Amino acid sequence: MSFDSTYTKELPLVESRSSFKELDDVIIGPTERKPSKKFLAAITISSTALLIGVVCVCFTLYYGIGMWGNNNPVGWGFDIVNFVFWIGIGHAGTLISAILFLFRQKWRTAIARFAEAMTIFAVMTAGIFPVLHTGRPWLAGYLIPYPNQNALWVNFTSPLLWDVFAVSTYLTISAVFWGIGLVPDIALMRDRTKSGIKKTIYKVLSLGWKNSNRNWQHYERAYLILAGISAPLVLSVHTIVSFDFAVSVIPGWHTTIFPPYFVAGAVFSGFGMVSTVLIFLRKIFDMEHIITINHIEKMNKILLATGSIVGYAYAMEFFIAWYSGNQFESFVFLNRAFGPYWWAYWIMVSCNVGFPQLFWFKKVRRSIAITLPLVILVNVGMWFERFVIIVTSLHRDFLPASWGMYTPTWVDGGILLGSFGMFFTLLLLFAKTFPSVSVAEIKAVTTGAQPSHNHLNNNAH
Amino acid sequence: MDKKINISGKILDNSSEEIIEKAIVIPEVPKPADPKDINYWRSFKELYSNPDFIRAKKLEFQPGELERPDVDKMSAFSRRKFLALMTASAAVAAAGCSNYKDRGEIIPYNRKPEEVTLGRPDYYASACDGCAAACGVLIKTREGRPIKVDGNPDHPVNKGKICSIGQASILNLYEPDRIKNPMLNGKDIKWQDADDKIITSLRSAASSGKEIAILTSKVISPSYKKVLDEFIAVYPTAKVYTYDQFNDNAKLSAWQKSYGTRNIPTIKFNEAKIILAVESDFLSTELNKVENVRLFAEGRDVFSEKDFNRLYSVEGAMTQTGMKADYRLRLRTDAMEDFVMSLLSEFITKKKISTFATDTKYGNAVSKYSIDEFAKKYGLDKSVLDHLVSDLEKNQGSSIVVGGESLAESTHIAINLLNDVIGGSKLYSSESIFEEVMPLSSKADIDNLVSDLNAGKIAVMINSDINPVYNFPTDYNFAEAYKKAALKISISELVNETTALSDYTLPGCNFMESWGDYKTRTNIVTLQQPVINPLYNSRQKEAMLLTWTKGNKDGYTYNLYHEYVKSTFEKDVFPSLKASADFNRFWFAALHDGFVVTKDKAKESTPYQGDNFTGSAGKSTASNDFVLLLNKHHSTGDGKYANNAWLQELPHPMSKIVWDNYAAVSVKTAKDLNLAGNSKDMINISNGNFKMEIPVFVQPGIADKMIVVETGQGRTVSGAIGQNVGFNANKLFSNTGVTPYLYYNVKADKSAGSYELVSTQEHHAIDDPVTQDLQFKRKIIREATYNEYKNNEEVLKEEEYVDGVLLEKFPSINQNNQFSTTDVKWAMVIDMNKCMGCNDCTIACMVENNIPVVGKDQVRVNREMHWLRIDRYYSGTPDAPKATFQPMLCQHCDNAPCENVCPVAATTHSPDGINGMAYNRCVGTRYCANNCPYKVRRFNYFNWRDRVADGFFQQQPIDQMFNPEVTVRSRGVMEKCTFCIQRVMDARMVASQEGRMVKGDDVTTACQDACNTSAIAFGDMNNKESEFNRYRTHKLSYTVLDDIKVKPNVTYIATLRNVYEASVHPEGNNPVKKDAETKTINPEGNKEGFKDSIKETHKDYTKEPVK
Repeated sequence: MSFDSTYTKELPLVESRSSFKELDDVIIGPTERKPSKKFLAAITISSTALLIGVVCVCFTLYYGIGMWGNNNPVGWGFDIVNFVFWIGIGHAGTLISAILFLFRQKWRTAIARFAEAMTIFAVMTAGIFPVLHTGRPWLAGYLIPYPNQNALWVNFTSPLLWDVFAVSTYLTISAVFWGIGLVPDIALMRDRTKSGIKKTIYKVLSLGWKNSNRNWQHYERAYLILAGISAPLVLSVHTIVSFDFAVSVIPGWHTTIFPPYFVAGAVFSGFGMVSTVLIFLRKIFDMEHIITINHIEKMNKILLATGSIVGYAYAMEFFIAWYSGNQFESFVFLNRAFGPYWWAYWIMVSCNVGFPQLFWFKKVRRSIAITLPLVILVNVGMWFERFVIIVTSLHRDFLPASWGMYTPTWVDGGILLGSFGMFFTLLLLFAKTFPSVSVAEIKAVTTGAQPSHNHLNNNAH
Repeated sequence: MDKKINISGKILDNSSEEIIEKAIVIPEVPKPADPKDINYWRSFKELYSNPDFIRAKKLEFQPGELERPDVDKMSAFSRRKFLALMTASAAVAAAGCSNYKDRGEIIPYNRKPEEVTLGRPDYYASACDGCAAACGVLIKTREGRPIKVDGNPDHPVNKGKICSIGQASILNLYEPDRIKNPMLNGKDIKWQDADDKIITSLRSAASSGKEIAILTSKVISPSYKKVLDEFIAVYPTAKVYTYDQFNDNAKLSAWQKSYGTRNIPTIKFNEAKIILAVESDFLSTELNKVENVRLFAEGRDVFSEKDFNRLYSVEGAMTQTGMKADYRLRLRTDAMEDFVMSLLSEFITKKKISTFATDTKYGNAVSKYSIDEFAKKYGLDKSVLDHLVSDLEKNQGSSIVVGGESLAESTHIAINLLNDVIGGSKLYSSESIFEEVMPLSSKADIDNLVSDLNAGKIAVMINSDINPVYNFPTDYNFAEAYKKAALKISISELVNETTALSDYTLPGCNFMESWGDYKTRTNIVTLQQPVINPLYNSRQKEAMLLTWTKGNKDGYTYNLYHEYVKSTFEKDVFPSLKASADFNRFWFAALHDGFVVTKDKAKESTPYQGDNFTGSAGKSTASNDFVLLLNKHHSTGDGKYANNAWLQELPHPMSKIVWDNYAAVSVKTAKDLNLAGNSKDMINISNGNFKMEIPVFVQPGIADKMIVVETGQGRTVSGAIGQNVGFNANKLFSNTGVTPYLYYNVKADKSAGSYELVSTQEHHAIDDPVTQDLQFKRKIIREATYNEYKNNEEVLKEEEYVDGVLLEKFPSINQNNQFSTTDVKWAMVIDMNKCMGCNDCTIACMVENNIPVVGKDQVRVNREMHWLRIDRYYSGTPDAPKATFQPMLCQHCDNAPCENVCPVAATTHSPDGINGMAYNRCVGTRYCANNCPYKVRRFNYFNWRDRVADGFFQQQPIDQMFNPEVTVRSRGVMEKCTFCIQRVMDARMVASQEGRMVKGDDVTTACQDACNTSAIAFGDMNNKESEFNRYRTHKLSYTVLDDIKVKPNVTYIATLRNVYEASVHPEGNNPVKKDAETKTINPEGNKEGFKDSIKETHKDYTKEPVK
């Protein structure tokens, strides 16, 4: 083996020289086999969690929001914490599939499909909360602008309304993007399957895909356009979610740094979740040669970068609180770090800024055993970030006489658990139904797939 | 095809029958050649031209059709009968339907009663019987239902104001737990049967010489007294005992011993310059509070020419009076008499003031006391005492000393002397004098009652609207004694501990269903008239006694007591007035007014009689044990109103604790008792043989070694609301005290129990540097001293100048004036100098706006619903706290932060400046509440009416109680103060009917009506000439949280502390400021200056405005 020493050799995106057939078998295989015991165990756990969530939601709908810990100074609690958390999780997928696609980051192919699915499921999970958190969810339709005989219109100055548009747009575009990306793979599944019913379904879903040159040309173009549409959405959704807070007058919320800080945080948490899930996925479905340790390392680098941006934002908030001389602002931040919720603040800082600093070490980045706890901590930390922003800002705002503490109830806990249950149940069902990695794309980046002028070198392997 | 049929079906050609038969076998439907020639046929017979058919067709009527019907052949079942049966069965079916939505009779007025207009309220003058003050009230009724009680504005004593118990009394009327029928041992019986048996028993008791005891609370009604007298005349063995757990008996008997009469004059607080309250809460819990606070607040009026009065308070408990005081001295209650004696010594022996100084009797008695030694002994601030002494000395004739109801008789005698010495007696009103219709029974009388009961001497015991089993001192063991009475009768509106032990429980009437007359002042008789028929099968207690006096079981008539009161009035009041009108006209006029002013004169009082002034206080024991002070509950009184959920949820003025009572101790005492403070600790208190376990609350400002407990809770037999709320502190209430309320040598220690007290305001340490004095730093509360203000009216604005530029002139960024209007724009002003923190406005708001009660568990998680709350802020040290009360309600901001965040535009601004809520539109995102800087928005986390005490507020007849003008909010909806929008709309309607614009003073809000001191004003801010605007633009007015530029429309008048300050304010009338006001700044042209100014501003914020 010889290579030009002036270039760093690019690491192979797919390790081991698998044939296309082998790739097909590895990736599509799980969707064709009967569910394994591991899978059944996993879905039992996740659907139990989902069921607990459903029960808690029923309690909420029957008795009212009073079942939660929300109260007078703290009008939003776990409901909006969970909403922002899940929307944040939903950011990695589109970032990986759209932005990295536009930047021609080929390593994305191994993780894009799954990350996109996570995006959709996370946004679906998130979408439940804005409806559920209203006092009268049966009237949530009022948030949609529709002409009516009362000439009632929504309030376009409310960031909550912008959320409705932002999140629904994001969900729609992400779903379309994901669906389009699936077409060639579904066609492949259609061709492989022997079951009549499956064949019919795949036929419908593959939109008559024939693997023709024309198909591919249109597909690539459509994919590029959708990537272009999705890319700004990655930035806009969490920007708008951050407006929910930034537009208010509450110290600790009323901050101009929020949009970039939220987007960075969202990407950070999204990658945290993608890593968490992929580490299990590559193990369970034997895809360690497709989703390689190099992928993990790259994602860890992104975690380090975004985690540091988040850390910078934390520091900047304190700086501005001091520099502005605004006493309300300074109090809120002192109260965050040293008030009754100090523990939440320090969990947030250590998980989001402290521990990810370990990723400066290559050994840590390339160690699954260390990466896994760290990425889980990132998820924990980012959940607490939303908790800290929402609860600590509200619980002690302007008038000391109206201060109060927030204590979540078991229903809050149940719904949080249920949201994880919903997310993972959907994810498991997805992994069992559709290829978790884009077969068509992965084939394009396997070693030897590309036409090469250096025929000898390729043969040398 | 051999038949021709035209389009109308007429057969043109007739052919043979044969063809038809054939055709039936093989139906051959002819196809018309011409599409128009369609063969319309009605039957085969017609189609195939059956001759029968053709024949029949020729006949217009069938054979026989023209004949008359044969009646005999017809069914016997006639049409009429059929219809009748159908109707009857339909009626039976309808009546048998259990789900028939019969919500009671809703019958339109066939003949509309005079003065009743549907949709318009009627007001009736009456009298409140909530306490012995008997305030005149005005009851608002809608379609015959009372819905709100307010003070009678014409009444000379309470002048349109009543306390929270009066405000909340509307709930007592509609209480679902009320006793509905007379009961014998818990079973419903008929009135006649009850009356019959009772009369028999009474007769046999009277004839056999056995005692009949009538126990009632203080008799303040002349007619009631007459009823009792007549009862005794008929049943000579009857004795009347009167008892009130909390009373001013010590004060009255001290007065008698000092001046020879029990007729105490009221005090002209409005003319007082210096007021010294000795363990007295005359501004809140004591009798005549409504009048006291009004007169007191007149001396705290920023518009008045007169100087502010100065209030000194010396107390061991922590009361509202102490909090409003300019100087408060913390002193154990057992030292109060020594304190008064020391003051007397100072004035008599040392300063030789007044003629008493020449009488050696007094000099000798007080000479052993010295104020200096006293101050040293109790660690009092000497400088404050010096101020007090010099103030009292300088303001002779305009200073007054007020003693609290819990003090001993001897202390009151000393206070009377002190008032005579310093000329305080000049402030005794000569016109308004308390009069007793019937004095309370003495302790000896009650002792006799109990011993007679125990001896089995009492044949019939009648408890008339009183609950002795709960309220009597524990050492009587009254429950056991009561059981020994042969026949036990209890008259009550609600079940209580006494009715539970009684044979007969007779339902009494609410005061809104009753007639009555009350005489609490020499020259005033207040009339009470019913505004609604009794809701249940109840009778008023006077009528029951009258029936029994008559001795006829059918003697009761609905008008019995009505006629009685009227005749008493005719005989006793009418002649003395020498009115020119005939009695009936006079009577109706008096009922209309609600009271009459008579020409009665009080018994002349004699000069101070020194004989009873022994000067031997001797009561003070400086022992190391605790002093226990029992007070009545701040809202539910002596426990009578424990079942009133509004009162239960009313926060304690100081601690903000609801639905409970507790033992309040000082910080040091808590440490001594090893309590963690503000936790769930409990203590055991033992008062001699009487012990109880009760939760502790560490209350700043309470004297060390002192325990203050409010009674009135811990009811074991009550309605659904009041039962088992809090702790029964009457377990400590006994005859062993110095006074019924004050006990020495009480022991306390930490107990193992734990109990959670809940409050509407978070308790954080007073001296925590992070949270200390935030109310000043954040300019929520603004204060100045009275002298500072007198020297410089702009004292408040001073801190608003930055580099000589008024802060208001700084432009706010990105704000519009979309809500500025030249028409009426509603606004409110609250004068913090006059706010006593009493919560009366909170209750009034709850009644007016149908605000739900949430229960203790929900207050615990901060979900109380009060639209208007009183925020209490402490400053100073935990030992010597200063407190400020601030009513906080929706500020109706011009740039309301709640409005722009509501996604569905459910909260919007009205053109007249009101921030409104469209409940129907609200989906309940709670975003508005989060974004409210004042946190005044309230969310319906549950369907509260269903939730509290198993749907207590959904039971009949509470639904009749709600104000029909205000929507009852559903679960999941945000609500908040609307500036009583229903009243604004009402005024608009009236104005438009009168063809004019609505004016600022057309509307009063419920809180404004209720405010005893008129601290709340409401009006049109655009009417620059109005009194209201003068108030609003007063130099001391400010808005809370200016900085965030939400432009609130509620302004507050800053508190002025009238502290002792001889010096002139050093920066008085600074001329720089005068220039500055005209100077405007241009942020574009003067950026540098602007920036610097901003920095300066922030520097200023961190400074405490008041030193």
